[in-house]
Amino acid sequence: MNIFFSGDIVVVAQGSIVVQAFPISGGNLPEDTIDEMKEIEGVRTAVPMLVFFGYKLEGVIQPVPANISIGIPPESWAILVGSTPLKPDGRWPSANSSAKEVVVGPSLADQYNLAVSSTIRIQNNDLMVVGILDTPSAILTRAIIIPLRVAQHVYLPTHPSWINMIVVEPEDESMEKEVAENIETNIGGVEALTADERNEIIAPLLSDIEMWNLGIRGMLFFLSMILVTTVAVMNISERRRDFATLGAIGAPRSFIFRLVITETTLIGLFGGLLGILVGTVATLLLASLYTNIPLTLFFQSPFDIVSPVFMAEVLTSTVVVSCAAGLVPAVNAMRANISEVLRSEY
Amino acid sequence: MIVKAVELTRIYRLGSSHITAVDKVNLQVDEANLVSIIGPSGSGKTTLLHLIGLNDTPTSGKILFNGDDTSFLSESERRKTRLQRMGFIFQTFNLLPTLTALENVELPMALAKFSQKEQMGKTVNLLETVGLAERLQHRPKQLSAGEMQRVAIARALANNPSLILADEPTGELDSKAGCEIINLLSELCKNQNIAVVLATHDERMAEVSDVTYRICDGVITLE
Repeated sequence: MNIFFSGDIVVVAQGSIVVQAFPISGGNLPEDTIDEMKEIEGVRTAVPMLVFFGYKLEGVIQPVPANISIGIPPESWAILVGSTPLKPDGRWPSANSSAKEVVVGPSLADQYNLAVSSTIRIQNNDLMVVGILDTPSAILTRAIIIPLRVAQHVYLPTHPSWINMIVVEPEDESMEKEVAENIETNIGGVEALTADERNEIIAPLLSDIEMWNLGIRGMLFFLSMILVTTVAVMNISERRRDFATLGAIGAPRSFIFRLVITETTLIGLFGGLLGILVGTVATLLLASLYTNIPLTLFFQSPFDIVSPVFMAEVLTSTVVVSCAAGLVPAVNAMRANISEVLRSEY
Repeated sequence: MIVKAVELTRIYRLGSSHITAVDKVNLQVDEANLVSIIGPSGSGKTTLLHLIGLNDTPTSGKILFNGDDTSFLSESERRKTRLQRMGFIFQTFNLLPTLTALENVELPMALAKFSQKEQMGKTVNLLETVGLAERLQHRPKQLSAGEMQRVAIARALANNPSLILADEPTGELDSKAGCEIINLLSELCKNQNIAVVLATHDERMAEVSDVTYRICDGVITLE
């Protein structure tokens, strides 16, 4: 579940809320906590970081973060981005803190037409883009990766020696839990979260989302079943004379059954295709509305938002639902009393 | 002899009451005969036609088709008999609205598993026979009532039936179109050696029929 800092311990100020390994709210820590941390038994490395989620875009508060700024010492990029490459002509910011260089995620670069050598302005500071990440990661694609010193200068000009998270690599991964306990015991006012603990924080939320998702899907499945059956029954009852005529001219019952099932299945197939199209466009519109990322960017890779597997699942379920919903009307049409229906039509 | 009805009776049960729609009818239809069953509305004409056409089962009595007792036929055998040996013409034409004239006529042949080539050639011939060579691709909505009934006649002829059952075939037509349809059926009967049974209240039919029956309250009498 945690794709960032797996096997490492994330240390934050007590009371911070951590989602996907990053503190979305909470207090700061003095940077010299790092020195205390390195003294603790079992700690191999400790990397200070300053993370800010940007909820404001052009002065308007957004419901979901528009970007995430991550300040990290230049020599420690790898702990954050792993082997993620940069797009051609890019490079990582220099260690020189006065250079004010940054690397940005591809979605941000596309949205703001940023290229290598472009300048972005954050908190009245001009920062030069020296690289653009080449990654599909949901977080990194909207990230601004800044040398820690520059980030501290930009975001905490009055407290330039503060950080808000530390990533601790234990000497032995199997000792992760013990090292976390040591940290909490030896350093006051911090929480040391192992990967499992970070997962536990988000697990109830994911579980709730999954439950709601399942419930809504089940309800929609049930409703669509009723709806398609009702439409099919109405459709068949309106055409009962046609089916009786088919029976009168000698059409086998199996032919009438297949005819109705084929019709309802095709309705499901085309309805499903239309639903996928409308649903995908609506999802992209909503995603664009809530994130303020231009719609055109989503349309460049719509399958990242609505996966082809999910589309196939939806299409399969609509076809199955409509086929099943056609059973009752198909049997009704097949078993219609021909003479009764034809007599009643006059 | 194509069809023979023996003591044919059909009783409908509506709650506690019984309605005898067809009462001990004895009737015979021979090859190339135009047989009219004339009677007022509610006299049992349509019920009798449905019984002869194996769309309904009698309460008692039996129907012999080409000498064979149909009482023991299964539903699928009854449908097969209708498909291969009978044609139906309805008062309200009963053409499938989404199909063209050509497709409506092709339908019984497709059900009888004729090849596409056979279907096409025969359909065009049939529609030419009923005077609709220029209306092949028209849908029922684009045809007049008389033309729709001609398409229905072509459809009834599709699988070379030995018997055509027509229920009030002129009921929805004006006088001129009605006369044309009567003449067409009469010609088909003689030229193609097909027995035609007509249920009607149109007294003009008696003039062109080989045999005329009158029906009233389910009881039939030979005229």
